[in-house]
Amino acid sequence: MTTKWCFQSTPKALTPHFALHSPAKMLEPVPDTDDALPLVPLSQEPVAYPLHHSLSHPVSRVSLCWSRGNSLRVSLFCQEPPESAIEATTALTTEDDGSGGVVVELSMSNGSSEIDDAEWRRIAYGSVAPFALLQNRKNSAVALSKLPIASLSNVEWWEYVMDYSKEINSLLVNSKLHPSSMIDDPRKIMKVIKEPTCLKAAWELWGIFYADKQHQAWLPECLVDWLADYDCLFSQTHPTVHSKLVDLQHDLVNLQTIEDNPKYWEGISSALAVGWLDIVVKLLHLHGCNQLDQIGSREVEKGLVDAVVFLVSKMPRLRSESVGGRLGECYKSRQDFNMAREKWRAKLTKLDCSGFWIQCGHQPTRDGLKNLLLIMLGDIDSLSASTCHWMEFYISHFLHMRPFTVGLESMYSLAQQCIQLKPVTHRHTLMGLLVGILGENTEVVLAECFKAFGPWMVAHSIELLSAGGEQSETILHQKRHNLGGISIEELHRIVYAQVLASHALTWQLAPIYLVSCEKQGMDLLEILLYRQPVQHNQGLLKILEYGRLYELGSVSSKIMMIAGIHHWKHGRKGSGIYWLQQAQDEVRLNKIALQLFDFVGKTVSSESFKQWEGLIELLGSDTKTAGGLEFLRKYRDFKKSLQQIPDGKVNDTARQAVESLMKLMKNPSTPQRFWLPLLYDSLKLLTWPEHPLLNVSETNLLLNKLQELSMAKLRPDYIDADLPPQALSSVRLALAKILDVLFSRSDNPFMQFRSKEAQTAGKSRLKKCHECPQLPHNTWKGPSICTKVVDI
Amino acid sequence: MEKSVATLDKGTICSSWNYCYQRLATGSIDGMLAIFDSYDPDSSVFNCSSRTKVHKGIIVKVVWVPPEFGDAVACICSDGALSLWEEVSEDGHSVQWKLCKCFQSKSGRVLDIQFGLSSTSLKLVAAYSDGYIKVYELQDPLELKNWQLQADFQNVIDSVSKFGKVSCSSASVSWIPQRCERQQLSFVLGYNSDAPQLNSSKVWEFDQAHQRWLPVAELALPSGNADQVYAVAWAPNIGRPYEIIAVATQKGLAIWHVGLHPDADGRLSVEVAALLSGHGGEVWQMEWDMSGMTLATTGSDGLVRLWQSNLNGVWHQQAAFQPTSL
Repeated sequence: MTTKWCFQSTPKALTPHFALHSPAKMLEPVPDTDDALPLVPLSQEPVAYPLHHSLSHPVSRVSLCWSRGNSLRVSLFCQEPPESAIEATTALTTEDDGSGGVVVELSMSNGSSEIDDAEWRRIAYGSVAPFALLQNRKNSAVALSKLPIASLSNVEWWEYVMDYSKEINSLLVNSKLHPSSMIDDPRKIMKVIKEPTCLKAAWELWGIFYADKQHQAWLPECLVDWLADYDCLFSQTHPTVHSKLVDLQHDLVNLQTIEDNPKYWEGISSALAVGWLDIVVKLLHLHGCNQLDQIGSREVEKGLVDAVVFLVSKMPRLRSESVGGRLGECYKSRQDFNMAREKWRAKLTKLDCSGFWIQCGHQPTRDGLKNLLLIMLGDIDSLSASTCHWMEFYISHFLHMRPFTVGLESMYSLAQQCIQLKPVTHRHTLMGLLVGILGENTEVVLAECFKAFGPWMVAHSIELLSAGGEQSETILHQKRHNLGGISIEELHRIVYAQVLASHALTWQLAPIYLVSCEKQGMDLLEILLYRQPVQHNQGLLKILEYGRLYELGSVSSKIMMIAGIHHWKHGRKGSGIYWLQQAQDEVRLNKIALQLFDFVGKTVSSESFKQWEGLIELLGSDTKTAGGLEFLRKYRDFKKSLQQIPDGKVNDTARQAVESLMKLMKNPSTPQRFWLPLLYDSLKLLTWPEHPLLNVSETNLLLNKLQELSMAKLRPDYIDADLPPQALSSVRLALAKILDVLFSRSDNPFMQFRSKEAQTAGKSRLKKCHECPQLPHNTWKGPSICTKVVDI
Repeated sequence: MEKSVATLDKGTICSSWNYCYQRLATGSIDGMLAIFDSYDPDSSVFNCSSRTKVHKGIIVKVVWVPPEFGDAVACICSDGALSLWEEVSEDGHSVQWKLCKCFQSKSGRVLDIQFGLSSTSLKLVAAYSDGYIKVYELQDPLELKNWQLQADFQNVIDSVSKFGKVSCSSASVSWIPQRCERQQLSFVLGYNSDAPQLNSSKVWEFDQAHQRWLPVAELALPSGNADQVYAVAWAPNIGRPYEIIAVATQKGLAIWHVGLHPDADGRLSVEVAALLSGHGGEVWQMEWDMSGMTLATTGSDGLVRLWQSNLNGVWHQQAAFQPTSL
């Protein structure tokens, strides 16, 4: 890439606004570095920007951290002064600020300083919809035609780009209705209707050259209108026609015979030079000869003034239509314009040669009007004298000298001539931008734009630029290895997205720009979403919505996992489990299940049931922890039925409790360490006052389990439950008593039957149990319980 | 535009922001760990929410544990002690910072640590003053107290040679920023020591098949592999076809391009993209922004410098900031 232009950073040493990724820097000439390493010596370093802080002691150490986007947080640590120094300082200042350091956030995202942060945010929000719409249209057009964007040069496409340009332009209006616009004051020659900004001026310039294909044929006239709207912006750094006229307006109030004042004629000629015909006519109407009391005595003068007014009003313009009732005769076609201009010029010449000039006794009027004729006839000296800076001079060429200048190349060479003839000491941003556009140097245009207006402008104006021509399109969309495989367009979108990301109120807009980045946008979006705080549910849901919208399932899972762990560790266990489940984080959920096991194992006999019941419910069926959670659920069911048993009264609940107990004890997934706690908890069932609730085989099974437990106790990995020391013996005694009772009640036909059944347990006997005619129906409710017990 | 976001306690000498930049942990010369929070997630004013005495000596570095494992920090103290502290709420009590692990080492002091996150586990790399790197792995994702020493090796390419008595004054570790689940687990580590072979930054990669760490690249300038390394920083990669690692030595800041795919010998291609004059002395810290395009550095000249590459791939200083009292 060859770069003719080398723009050094503006020495904005004290400006707080600093833009990263400045393409101005990127355009610096590259040394021949094929072989040697590019060592950048310190002597070339730019001025260090001050990083203001409030510390009174010297800074001894600095630490830094990038925040979201491109905000940099810098920790400045104070040098701890010696004790004596502290005392001395304290004595002098009577108070020490008491801080050992400070963290300063450096925001490097703003562009132009003419617009405040809130206004930037309004523009940022407003520009999202047009940008997204254009991207959608572009994508659909590409999808339909399967052609690159450059091929989409149909009318419809230009209309899309134009719509976009207008939409964005409407955002940049900072309209403040000036009271003067409401009253038509004849002495008010300058109306302030809106406060123009350089940003809007720049956007319109882009629109004129790149977006507005309809007006391409009348481009010079578009520039005339543009300067009429924005010449005031140059007043900050240069004398301008605008400032000259503003001064004149102040003077008009005090001047009695204005035509005697050279400022009056200077103002008219300047206004005419840059094509502000309305102002010219208005000013000429203020000429003394138009005063009612003087018409008679200044007839010739008035005739000449009126003639000039007529010619000014009828000045042929090569443009589509008159904007806002502006004076001049508009011609759309070059041929018509040509003919009209010839006629008009003939009238000019005729007036110039008129004998009335000799009869005009008022010298300033004669000279002033003559000068106006010279301007209209395209006299370069008059134009140069009437304009203040090269851009005005340049514009005056289109009006009075070279109305047919077409093609950017000739416009560029004309601009260069004007710059040489009317050089400026300080080049205004908009001047640089215009030269860049005319020079068809895409990089310079972007560099100027970035330097002056920041990432927003570049990210959005690239759309116009890439629509402006194949060359620009190629430069903007070419994948560059040096940029990590992305194009300039993508680079600027990423840079702008980072700017958006750095503020809490705008980060939500960043995804829209990132998803439009073909190569690196989604990865950055993932990082951006990952780095959002998730402690508050509202924020979390918003991030997840983005994850869902852009199909970033993995980052959503990570975010939900982070939220889950945060809640879990901060005592909100239910929320923790909920979010871990949403994240489908089996590993952590299984660990939680194991923790619950431990927890349950320790407190099984306490009344803390409710604490973990909810958690088990939450862990529920989604968790695939085989056996473990199944046990917890069974345990919960058992515990519930145990609590619901009324004292000493046999009912279904007691039987269900026994049933649950036996299920638990038979289930191989029930951890051994729970056996004794389970049985100890069930002492109420085991020592049921009226009848044993267990049959022989069940009792035998439980006794066997106890025996197994006694053996296990000898192993080193045995986990002792937190139970009273007599727990084991109490359970064993209870079971022994059951057996005793069961065998002693052999007169009970049901028990005899059950005893037999117990000895030869099997499902084949189940039927018999049901068919047993001796079973009493009012006690024990035999068949049902029997069925269930045997069925187990 | 700069603005003050937090005022630090007296004696504070190190600080670290958590993953979402909403919490600041600071360490001080009296061994106090202070945590700063903002009460509103959208606010950028941070106040101290807790102070915990974690050590009798000086805390020289604070590192946040990845958020997937809770709100926790590792504190390195001047005597080389390393401890993990976690914010928890137990049994309905209010949140408090609790010690969950002390890493003991008889051989050397801990100079630097960093946490690395893989799809399955959390790893901790610690660089010790005896030139050894220890990699620990968390055993239980819910409990930060259970760590297992996974590997223990010196920062040398040739695994046979061992350096008995070396003196390392500082070290710097940087993990490859996590990008996707299948990404290789790697880190880069450099030493500032009296043993030249230890010093140069090496990229270590975990060989899953053989469960061991292998040096896959050495980031040493041709003329000075003995250069003492002040800091290393691995840039986030959001789609580049190569990795970027910044290494600060006494010669300056080197920007390295490291290939993504190993050659037949298992080595990654390396190339110095730029060698920049740094801070005229020691570089204290280097940090990449989230896109990996801008490098921020600070060092003994007290300045904060920003570095970028232009469209032609030429690295340059984009800006410098001088702390200035109001």
